[in-house]
Amino acid sequence: MSYRIGFDVGGTFTDFVLQSPAGELTTAKRLTTYPDPSEACLAGLDALLAAAGVAWSDVAQAVHGTTLGSNVVIERKARGVGLLTTRGFRDVLLIGREKRYQVYDLQIEKPRPLVPRRLIGEVTERVLADGSVRTPLDEADARRAIRALVESGVTTLAICLLHAYLNPQHEKRLAALAAAEAPHLTVTLSHEVSPTFREYERTSTTVVNAYVMTAVRDYLRGLGAALGGRGYRGRLFVMQSSGGVATADAMERYPVRMIESGPAAGALMAAAYGELTGHRDLIAFDMGGTTAKLALVENGRPYTTTAFELHRVHGAAGSGLPMNIQAIDLVEIGAGGGSIARAHLGVIAVGPESASSVPGPVCYGRGGIEPTVTDADLVLGYLNADYFAGGSLRLDRDGARRAIATRVAQPLGLAVEDAAWGVHAIVNTNMELATRVVSIERGRDPRDLTFVAFGGSGPVHGCRLAQALGIPRVILPAAAGVTAAIGLLAAEVKFDVARTWVRRLDALDPAALTTMYDEMAAQAAAVVRGAAVAGNVTLARSLDARYVGQGYELTVPVPAGRLDAAALARIRAAFDEIYAARYGYANPMEPVETVTWKLAAVGGAPRVALAKAASDGRDGGLKGRRRAWFPETRGWTECAVYDRYALAPGARLDGPAIVEERESTSVLPPGTSATVDEYANLIVEVAR
Amino acid sequence: MNARVDPITLGVVWGALQSIAVEIGTTVHKTAYSEQAREGQDFSVAVFDAQGRMVAQGPYSPGHMGAMSFAVRNALAAHPVETLKPGDAILLNDPLLGSGHLPDFFITQPAFHRGALIGFAVNILHHTDVGGARPGSQAVEGIFDYYQEGLRIPPTKVWQEYREHEGIVGIIAANTRTPDKVLGDLRAQRSALHVGELRLTELAERYGRDTLFAAMDAIVARTEANMRAAIRAVPDGVYRFEDFLDDCGPGTEPLRVAVTVTVDGEQMTIDYEGSSPQTASGMNSYINYTRSYSYAAVKCLTDPYGPMNEGALRPITVKAPEGSFLNPRPPAGGGPRAIICYRTFEAVIGALAPALPDRVAAAASHFANPTFGGWDRARTRRFVAYELVLSGTGARATKDGCEAMSYAFNASNIPVEAQEANQPLVVERFEFIRDSAGPGRFRGGCGIRRDLRFLADEGKLTNLSERQRLAPYGLFGGKPGALARTIINPGAGEQVVHGKQSREFAYADVISFQQSGAGGYGDPFERNPEAVLEDVLDDYVSIEAAREQYGVVLVGTGGDLQIDAAATAALRGRRR
Repeated sequence: MSYRIGFDVGGTFTDFVLQSPAGELTTAKRLTTYPDPSEACLAGLDALLAAAGVAWSDVAQAVHGTTLGSNVVIERKARGVGLLTTRGFRDVLLIGREKRYQVYDLQIEKPRPLVPRRLIGEVTERVLADGSVRTPLDEADARRAIRALVESGVTTLAICLLHAYLNPQHEKRLAALAAAEAPHLTVTLSHEVSPTFREYERTSTTVVNAYVMTAVRDYLRGLGAALGGRGYRGRLFVMQSSGGVATADAMERYPVRMIESGPAAGALMAAAYGELTGHRDLIAFDMGGTTAKLALVENGRPYTTTAFELHRVHGAAGSGLPMNIQAIDLVEIGAGGGSIARAHLGVIAVGPESASSVPGPVCYGRGGIEPTVTDADLVLGYLNADYFAGGSLRLDRDGARRAIATRVAQPLGLAVEDAAWGVHAIVNTNMELATRVVSIERGRDPRDLTFVAFGGSGPVHGCRLAQALGIPRVILPAAAGVTAAIGLLAAEVKFDVARTWVRRLDALDPAALTTMYDEMAAQAAAVVRGAAVAGNVTLARSLDARYVGQGYELTVPVPAGRLDAAALARIRAAFDEIYAARYGYANPMEPVETVTWKLAAVGGAPRVALAKAASDGRDGGLKGRRRAWFPETRGWTECAVYDRYALAPGARLDGPAIVEERESTSVLPPGTSATVDEYANLIVEVAR
Repeated sequence: MNARVDPITLGVVWGALQSIAVEIGTTVHKTAYSEQAREGQDFSVAVFDAQGRMVAQGPYSPGHMGAMSFAVRNALAAHPVETLKPGDAILLNDPLLGSGHLPDFFITQPAFHRGALIGFAVNILHHTDVGGARPGSQAVEGIFDYYQEGLRIPPTKVWQEYREHEGIVGIIAANTRTPDKVLGDLRAQRSALHVGELRLTELAERYGRDTLFAAMDAIVARTEANMRAAIRAVPDGVYRFEDFLDDCGPGTEPLRVAVTVTVDGEQMTIDYEGSSPQTASGMNSYINYTRSYSYAAVKCLTDPYGPMNEGALRPITVKAPEGSFLNPRPPAGGGPRAIICYRTFEAVIGALAPALPDRVAAAASHFANPTFGGWDRARTRRFVAYELVLSGTGARATKDGCEAMSYAFNASNIPVEAQEANQPLVVERFEFIRDSAGPGRFRGGCGIRRDLRFLADEGKLTNLSERQRLAPYGLFGGKPGALARTIINPGAGEQVVHGKQSREFAYADVISFQQSGAGGYGDPFERNPEAVLEDVLDDYVSIEAAREQYGVVLVGTGGDLQIDAAATAALRGRRR
């Protein structure tokens, strides 16, 4: 018996999915708990397994997605994080790269640094750009600096020295000295976290790693122990920002790699749904309680980046914290079901502030007083007060109405329905801009793409957004409310390693290179093999290279097996080819310089078989009718309400209509029509 | 007039033109060879329509931007559109026709769709060296005309029907101290434009030429209307301001920047009447460059998030007397003119401060943009290096200035690890200077210090720094920032280097660039004492300066420092 479970913590809801040995999926969701999100995880898992009659000892794999790391950073929650660096360079982190991310805004601000200047120490040492030591590490000075930081309250120390990506000896020695001086100090080293040149970007990555380390470690260990205590015998897996999963203990040292864990899973699952329905170019649109996240999927694969930035200001390039990690390229904005609506400067403003799950929207009846998008959706009749989260949460419709009336409608002199519609429309406009960023700014016309809308609020808003953007087709997946959790089960086990070796390609010794790759393969494969549930470990190798004299690299595949002169020649040819494809020309006469040799070990990819729709649909799935408000019909309209679980494959639904399922509600506005596919997905055609 | 274009198509075409500009820029950035282009991003890009109007620009240096419209017009005056064929591209670096100094190479590349001209992809990049008296081609001292500043290229079709003119490129290579970097960057510029050309053609193919043209018309018209509305919101009036540049080399007098800004309904005129005459040095700002930063200042104060294209420039007129250093007659020198741009920009901001007190900022710190040359012993080759030491920005009405942030001139610093990998130098310090920030209710950003040790023989420094004599101004009671300094071998026996001096240096000399702090906003005695304490704990402000400049008395030591509220109140009360 081998069941698998996935659970994904969002700002408002935690989503769960259980996969049976036959591939059947059972899903659930519940409110995220604060301050300890693992409470909801454990309670939800217990309930899900109990309902399915599955024992913990029958679960072979548990995969977890969490935005814990990202939240710790955005809320500047961590304490006692210090930085140690080369003497003369304590301000590298604070100075950054200095370019204005908004050219003309005189009121611009830089993000608050994660480490205050008073907790940045310096040590006497210096390595040069060729890796040679110009000034040996002054150990007495280093011990003093470590002690001073510890006395100032530092409990987690990031160490980033100049040129450590080439020669890490001083960083390693500092770690040993720190262990001697302060045995309880947690230390993270730049050459391990991010072995690449450019000191600010490497420091930033290392500091974020340090910043989230304690919280992530404590959390994952606590969760792992709790699962073990329940009889789970497997290992806890975590989704990384890259879209691969790794074991929780592998993440303890490199928590920065799971900084955007949950959203990556959503993008992966959207790609999988696209694949099933024959659409390989799409926009993954995940709207939850707190934020909306968008990602472009091209040719079946989520668009990834190595120049990832955490928490950009209004999406502007260069405004966030740079991270040298492989990550799915997501655009995230503060627009979710919990986004707070208000009257401001004579218009309706929505978000980015969120009521999250505590207190939550007014209609949750948990003390929220500020109206939210979910309150508006309820007032408009889109949501069913008695069947929210499968009926586990009864919504207070009158409370929602009162809040919108007093805080939005009355100040603006609007009818309550008009105000609620305004809130719905304004949050859509905010998301429309973000959708343009992921499509147009990446060179894609949204009208050529398919929109996959999921997350608790995604299917409520997805069709409207598609209408506004001229997107002709929307997929509203079955179990749309827990898609990210399903994505966890579709991900491969993956671990990346990299080594910087700056050298002319034609001056490399292929034998030394082969040896280096053997070491890297052993390291990465050990991590994956220790984790893989079944199947082989495959290795994918690649190289970041550039023409000698340039500053940025392109990634080129490195052939498998022992490397020889012919293999290097193939790499060279591939580089010119990729360069030409990207930039329109190549310079085959120019020498090529290697920078970073990379290897990804990938464990056997589990395939998630979606369950086929079970219903014979004899009753057409119609569960009733209710009034909902649409501007096209100039107000309240009786519209059909369908039960997602009772829809038959091939059925056709014309908007206006509402489809309910446990984790979400799909709204089909006037002008849309949907067909039900064999997996119970709704494929919506949007009239132009 | 072209057909109307529906809102969705307009949105998509507009976004696509903007993406084309960004893609051109990204391609330059990722494929360039020189440190100042690939790390400092000292380049700019734009897309023009078939009539030579700028319709989209990338998020780079505003200084190049305002000049671009005029440079393209000048390129097309020399090579009328009817003579252009696919694959042609026009290069120019003439200071009067381009952006005011020879290192900036403009390339204008037409794009065609089924034989018809549909627009231009354009970029400009600051090249490492174009010859002339000093490595880096940016000398102030000893220059009296631009013939001393390097190779001058009038608008020239260096590429014809996708073929490069080897002879001309050979002449360029033979007239620079750094042919590898110049040719590499030139190739990056050219290939980025080729990408732009392809994208423009694809856009026309996809939406049709007429729709594209109609969209371009609408973009310019809507932007102009938007800018006019934004100017209308500025109170009408005639606003004057003056500020000074330190001088134009050792032993010279300060240069006056006098500006009169007239806001009249939906139009604005910026007139530099009363500014100093043109100089017999490199310190001259050709009119296109003066225009650029004047436009940029107006945009910052009126419509910072609106689109930037030809339409945004139309409601603004910029004038400077011919023969002044802000509108010199050729062949005036202009190599180091970048150092002038903060002052023209800040003069406009200063003039409009009484009208827009909530939108302005006090004067920023000033960057240093020195260039170096000599013999690289380890790599056995001659070298030319470029540095950009940027610092903080001025305080605002409701908040402090930013630490370490480009201002009018928008570029990045060069990472220590990138600089050291390619040049014979070791950076020894890169840090904030304590007590340099201009005090105020909100304080300016700090000055930054960057020390470079050169492991090079026959060293030549061409210094280019400012605010060494006349400090960045504060506003509404805010104090100026501390002055800048350039020092060789700081410490005992240190030598002070004038901000615009050209001189030699020896193997292992350390050159220290210590930039000014930015100006404060509002009375420093009204600053929240808690904010002063935080600055002291973070070592931006000393305990002494907290008392002297802010009237905040601190007691205790180290992490236990506390505000002595009674003594602070007494001190602040006494000095009122």
